[in-house]
This record gives sequence, C-alpha cells and structure tokens, in this order.
Amino acid sequence: MAMIELWHMLKDRRELIQNLVARELKSRYKGSVLGFLWSILTPLFMAFIYVFFLRLLAGRGVPTEEIIIGVFAWQFTAMCVNGGMTAITGNANLVKKVYFPRVVMPLSVTLANLVNFLLSLVVQFAIILILLHLRGAHIHMLIVLLPAVILLHLVFNLALAMFMAGANVYFRDTQHLVGVLLSAWFFVSPVMYNLSFVERAAAQWPVLTSLYVVNPMAVIITAYRAITLPGVAFPCTTEAVAGLVLPLVLLVLAYRSFQRAQHNFADML
Amino acid sequence: MNAIEARNLGKRYQMRGLGPPTLFGALTRALRGAGAHTGHFWALQDVSFEIPKGRTVGVVGPNGSGKSSLLGLVAKTITPTCGSVTTHGRISSLLELGAGFHPDLSGRENVFLNAAILGIAREDVRKRFDHIVEFAGLREFIDMPVKHYSSGMYVRLGFAVAVEMDPDILLIDEVLAVGDVAFQLKCFDRIRDFQRKGKTLLFVSHALQSVEEFCDEAFLIHHGNLVAAGDPPDVILKYIRAYMGEGGYLYTQEFGTREVEFTEVKIRNEKNEEVATLEAGRPMYVDIQYRAHKRIERPVFGFSVKTGNGFYVFGSNTQIAKYPVDSIEGEGAVRLTIDPLTLMQGNFFLSLSIHSWDHAVQYHRREDWYPFVVKNITDAHGLFHLNSAWDHRAGG
Repeated sequence: MAMIELWHMLKDRRELIQNLVARELKSRYKGSVLGFLWSILTPLFMAFIYVFFLRLLAGRGVPTEEIIIGVFAWQFTAMCVNGGMTAITGNANLVKKVYFPRVVMPLSVTLANLVNFLLSLVVQFAIILILLHLRGAHIHMLIVLLPAVILLHLVFNLALAMFMAGANVYFRDTQHLVGVLLSAWFFVSPVMYNLSFVERAAAQWPVLTSLYVVNPMAVIITAYRAITLPGVAFPCTTEAVAGLVLPLVLLVLAYRSFQRAQHNFADML
Repeated sequence: MNAIEARNLGKRYQMRGLGPPTLFGALTRALRGAGAHTGHFWALQDVSFEIPKGRTVGVVGPNGSGKSSLLGLVAKTITPTCGSVTTHGRISSLLELGAGFHPDLSGRENVFLNAAILGIAREDVRKRFDHIVEFAGLREFIDMPVKHYSSGMYVRLGFAVAVEMDPDILLIDEVLAVGDVAFQLKCFDRIRDFQRKGKTLLFVSHALQSVEEFCDEAFLIHHGNLVAAGDPPDVILKYIRAYMGEGGYLYTQEFGTREVEFTEVKIRNEKNEEVATLEAGRPMYVDIQYRAHKRIERPVFGFSVKTGNGFYVFGSNTQIAKYPVDSIEGEGAVRLTIDPLTLMQGNFFLSLSIHSWDHAVQYHRREDWYPFVVKNITDAHGLFHLNSAWDHRAGG
C-alpha cells in the first residue's frame, strides 16, 4: 500500500521532484570549482587511505577493488542520511508556507544522491576494470544484476532519509547523535574490510555473525562485490536474505511514520 | 458552490520553551517525570464559515489574533487540531513570496523551481515565462543568481510566479506592502483581474482601506475566534470600535490641560440619528458637548479627519472658519456640520481639539478618537467626491 502510494506521488509530482533534484545538484556543485569532481575524489582518497593503513596496521590486505566498491556504496548511504536530516529542517520556509507532499523533500535528496552515485559508479567501474585487467582477471558475469542491487540500496537509503527527515524535526539534536552512530555503523559494516575479516569472530560467536549480515549495509556492499568481482561469494544464509528484505520493510515503516509525523512539521519548525 | 468551507476549525499550539526541541530535552523531561507539558494555547478556536466561489474576503484583527493561522489552515500548511477545512479548486498562496527560491540559482531557474513547487506544469511555465518576467520587471536580471536580488525584486518575482499560476483560490497574507508603488498598483490591477474572472480571494491585511476597497466580505478575528463577518465597512467599524479607537490598540492620543473637557461627542446623519456609518454626499453632523472648569476667553474648536491608513484628509477650526466664540464657562455644546460629506468611502478617524486663540494652550485634544465609516452611494469611484460636470458639443 505504502509503496503504491509512494509510486503515485512520484508520478504526480514528477516535475517538482525533477526540479528539486536539479536544485540540489546545481547548488551542490555551483559553489566549488571542481564541482562534481569532489564527489568522486573524496571517496577515492578515502579508499586510498583505507588500503594504505589497513595494510600497515592489520598487516593483511583487502583487495583494493573491494575497498573502492565499499567506500563508494558507503558514501551514497552516508550522504542520504545527512541529506535526509536537513531535508525538512533546512527548508523550513518552504514547508511552513507552501503545501506540497512533504515526502518529496527526502525523496528528492535521495534521488539527487542517486544521480551523484550513478555518475561516480562510472569512474568506479573504470578504475576497477583497469585494476582487474592488470591482474589479468575479468569482471563477474553477474554484473547484469547491478540495477537490482542499486535499487535495493536506493530503497534502503530512501527509508533512512525519511526517518532522518522526520526525526530531526522533532529532535533537533538528532544530527549529533547520528554523527556518532554513523561512525560506529561504518566500522560494523564491511566498508574497508570484507566478510572474511569477521570469520574469526564467527567461529567463536556464531549468533553474532548471523546477526552481522542482517545489517543491510553489510549485505548490500557484499552484494555489490559479489556481482562485480570474481572470487567474492555472497553468503546465501537466511540472515543474509533477511538483510536483503529488510530495506523494503524499513521503507514501508519509514513512509508510514513520515506521513504521520508530517502533520506537525509546520508547528515544530 | 463554496470555494472554501470551514467547520469548527481549531488549532492548538503546544507552548514550548526557548530553542528547538531536542531528544536530550525530551529524555531529561521524561527522567524528571511530569512537567513535560508546558501548556498550550488555541490560536484558532471553533471557527466555521463558508466562502462562495468568486467572493473576496478580507480578514482583519489585531496582531496575534490568528489570522495567519487561518490562512495556513486553508493553505493546508498547518494541520487543524480539530474541525476541518475543505477547498475546491487550485490554491495559490502568497503567504511568503519567494519561499523556496534558492539563493545560488538564477532567477530563471528559480521561476521553474517555484512553479513546480506550486504545482504548475513545466510546459505552462515555458509558455508564460515572458509574461512572468515582464510582470516582475526583471528582464535584465533574470539570469543572475537571486542572492544578488534586492528584497523588492525577490518579492516581485515570487508574486509574478504565484499569480501566473492561474489559481482558483488565491490566499494573500500582507505581502504586497513590500514592492514599490508602481508594483503595488500592478498587483492591485492583477487582483481586480482575478475578481473579474470569478476567482476566490482570501486576504489578510492591516491596510483597512484595501480591505474596504477590494473585499465583498470581511472577517474579524480576535483571540482565535471569528468575532464578526459581514459587510466590510461594518466589520471594520466593529474592529476599530472594539480594539482600536477610544484608547484602544491603535495609536490614539488624548492630552491637554483639561481646563475644558469634551464630555460627549455624537456623530449624526441628516435625520439626526446617532450613527457610525454615513453616506457620501449627505450631511454629517458632530455634536460636541463640553464642560469648561473656568472661564476661557476666545477658545478655538478644531477638528481633523484622517483615513484608516493615517492619511490626513482635512483639518480646520473655528478660527480658520472665522467663527470666533467669545468665551465659554460651564457646560455648552458645539455643532460641527459637514455638508455635503465629500468623502466617498472607507474608514475615517475624527480628531477633536479645543485650544486657546494663540495656540499656546491645548485644553483638550483627542487624536484619532472617533472612528466612522462612509458608504459610497454614488456610482463614482475614489476616495473624495469631486463636483464634476460634463459638457459635450458635436462638430467643429
């Protein structure tokens, strides 16, 4: 139900969403000289740092390609969380004075980040192809599933953006809390490492590891890696499948709670 | 058919402390137990009305009476606590012009963005784009980022977009005061245009003159209640009477040595009835009773008339009128006759004074103290009646 509603709203307000996405992207890139380049350079630098320090500190490496995939995917989610947080509070003027479906705001922030992510994927795949070529390897056949993984990732990010947008109206200190939670989440998600790093813990606490893959971020990043790189397997356990379904459930919940919360937005801003 | 219908509409606000709500605050309140509720107040309570299609309604009332909440509820930006409001047709609200303009984007980009927010199709905007720019008078600035616009330019562009949307219902909240005179005139033209097209307008204004001029009906709101609704002059008079004149909210003044005092003042029409509403072109009488506590030689009685907006219309006194009063002591009465009353329509304030012949001593002065309304019974328009005649001769 919620999904159908959301889909209809997306169709009816197509032009508004297009405009808001364009506004978001234009204003993001107009301010800086390098513009769009920054959104690619940042994760590349991050990937470089992780590769370097992980080798240095842990003494064992994760393939550079895996880290690049992890960092780009993580960046997409982190930007949606942060963007979602200010989607309503940052547009208080608009929300208080003009009526339009409020859900358009977190939605367009997420879509703007999607555009950004898709563009950065081009660069990401160019680099990965070069790296694979140097090792004499080829990209995985399952890469045809990429759109499906992106869609799942998008659903998850949209749910987060909606939660954040609503929560930040009611509790304006959400952003401080989220800053901390986001860095904790970064470490429990396989961004700069992969699932093989948690195998040792898996042997000791099996329950914990099965829970580990319920984290949609762990599943999504691993899925990206599994469909792109040869030699990365997706753990087809019940918990991992649950992690795949969870974003859909979250989206419905997020949409419902956002719709309920929006009645008071004008009063709380 | 009604364009807007409100049933028992109410809006309650929670009283909050300073600053925005925080999770930390909520937790500490929860830990301390009760005391989370700091009280609430009703911005609007039990308001019911119907506005038929094509009618222009002005909402008047003191600051903080709930006027803007009412408009917000009709615009659906505010959710009612109880009751309901239903609207038929496309609404465009001029609640905040240029809300949603992005400072970094150019005027052109913002026109499309703002139109999208208001729900206008891109194709329509493209067709009317030149119109919008022309109306806003921003041809040479349209590709400049709006952060470099002046506040007037901002509002002009916002207004142009909002009115080009061709709404069925237009909500206006005291926004027209920002532009310069030329633009205001353009706006009023556009509003008249809307009225001719049979659109519904709901507008909040402190410019009572504009409410008079444009509205078919006026609502008076006070403390969140719809106190009166009806003919604009009557409602406005009620408003002025209850909350403004006679030492009310408005800037009224009373001063003087009080050696002579006004005791009773009555405004009468030609039938000698005490009235608040007079008709243009008919006589107006003001009966002033005074009490002089000591003998005053050659006092001067004066009066002046201002419009509801404070525009000084006319002022005169017994000295200027060459009607010297020798001396007064004890009680007495003066009658001021204005015949014919050449004011056409609107709200006016009468000020009265008694002072000494050399203007050195002000005995008693009541500034903007007596409100009255003039109704236009002629077919002519305007603020003043000019005695005019036509003369036509055919051929050379």
